[in-house]
Amino acid sequence: MLALKNVTKKFGELIAVNDLSFTVEQGQIFGIAGPNGAGKSTVYNLITGFYPYEGEIVFNGKNLSGMPPYKIARAGIARTFQIPQIFPSLTVDTSLNVGSRFGSGTGLDPAHVDKIIEFLELSEDRFTKTNKLNLMGKKKLMIGAALATKPGILMLDEPMAGSNAREIKALMDLILRINQEMGLTIIIIEHFMKVLTELTQELLIIESGSMICCDSPEKATRDPKVIESYIGDAYAENN
Amino acid sequence: MRLKQMAIIIGVLYGIMAILPVFVGDTRFIMNILVMCLIWAVVASCWDLIMGFAGIFSFGQVAFFVMGAYCSGILAIEHGVPPVFAIPLAGVFTGAMGVLVGLPCLRLAGPYVALVTFGVHMALQPVLRGKIGLAMGSGGSVGLLTIPPVNIFGYTFSSANMVPTFYLTLLLSLACVLVIMFVIKSYWGVAFLALKDSPDFAMSLGISAFKYKLMVFALTSFLTGIIGAYYGHFYGVLSFRMLDLDLFSILMVMMLVGGLGHFPGAVFGAFIVVAGSEMMAPLGAYRAVVMGALVVILVLVLPNGVMGLFTGKQDRAEAG
Repeated sequence: MLALKNVTKKFGELIAVNDLSFTVEQGQIFGIAGPNGAGKSTVYNLITGFYPYEGEIVFNGKNLSGMPPYKIARAGIARTFQIPQIFPSLTVDTSLNVGSRFGSGTGLDPAHVDKIIEFLELSEDRFTKTNKLNLMGKKKLMIGAALATKPGILMLDEPMAGSNAREIKALMDLILRINQEMGLTIIIIEHFMKVLTELTQELLIIESGSMICCDSPEKATRDPKVIESYIGDAYAENN
Repeated sequence: MRLKQMAIIIGVLYGIMAILPVFVGDTRFIMNILVMCLIWAVVASCWDLIMGFAGIFSFGQVAFFVMGAYCSGILAIEHGVPPVFAIPLAGVFTGAMGVLVGLPCLRLAGPYVALVTFGVHMALQPVLRGKIGLAMGSGGSVGLLTIPPVNIFGYTFSSANMVPTFYLTLLLSLACVLVIMFVIKSYWGVAFLALKDSPDFAMSLGISAFKYKLMVFALTSFLTGIIGAYYGHFYGVLSFRMLDLDLFSILMVMMLVGGLGHFPGAVFGAFIVVAGSEMMAPLGAYRAVVMGALVVILVLVLPNGVMGLFTGKQDRAEAG
């Protein structure tokens, strides 16, 4: 469904992503993990067209190289951001309409927006300005606006950041429901290994922009290179 | 603010304007002020659309106004184009200039856009005064002195017939302001706000920053050019001195008084500032000082301008 082939991104002398190749299959929840500064969010920015790169990114047979972010959104790739991005001037309803009108490629679909509002339990806040939402509300809003684009793949950038245990559980349930009930392929960048091992079918670990492992979560968390460079002995022993 | 509320405020403002000639129609000085209020309301609203709603720090609005005025004046004087055709042609010309200025700005962030657009403003004066301007028919340092008035079906709209001219200005101003209102409340306006609030998020949801930013440059420069062209035909004379910083500053004041990004605050701002400025004329050189002090006080007391009085109440009502 989505394939990165020998993708490299350099910022001057710094190699942020180094010859990275991986494939995400239809219907999967695919995890990406790695230390801070490993290049995880950069990979998202490359897939969604925010930075140019060397190599090739193919989505459903279409080469995304050189496409601007808005065209990639219309091609069916939706994403959220690590630091919640909202439109403070707009309400929840209008923000979701933005995704539906501009990103779906088929124009505004009010019935689809209604369905998402209900799915995310945002009905009470529907006509609230988005800057009045709490952190959880803002995260749901980002996911909702992304879903409103009717994507083929949803990319979540550290969705659990800043959340407490109860919110993490709720977000995990939500991600599973999106995957199972909507049949959506999901990529998730996350630091909480427990979240990744419970949710994902395949896990990519990167360090300094290079892949050190791409396997099932069970195997990836027992990989000596992953233990040494990222998760540490304590995690491996306790899990 | 909802479309209906915006429409009511605009309707009330222009409605009051429309009945004023009944009382002051004989006083040429006041009628002149009213015409100026209507003209600057459009320029300030265009500036508010690009800066307040689209978040593009464009400082080229006065330059587009002057370009429109000169273009229409030159077309009428040098090429004999009737003003009713010269005015829309000037609008198309300034719209195209807006796109040309906007293109390099798309790759730049806030302060750099301000620098580029202000550079256009600064460059226009020497162009109009110099050999290039003279070759185009700008009149050089003398300016344009014989711009013909608007003539529709044999009726001449000039400062000699103030009441009909006022109503023509009112219609033109209202049409431009309504266009801006509908754009703000359309999905274009939503795209402008989304790109201002969070460009990356907006683009990730399918909004083309290139298309919508260029569109706002084209639209605001087109409308500003139209009203600038009309201004030239109303006054009959034009000078490059319009590009001095006085007009630029007073337009900024109009937006601040009305409330930046709080349309139709810019219309309010234009009416208040033009009328206030004229009332302070006896203060002479101290007028600018008093005006500046009033702006500082206003910004401190009403950071969202006059429109803050309306939107503040609305926000409080929403908050319960």
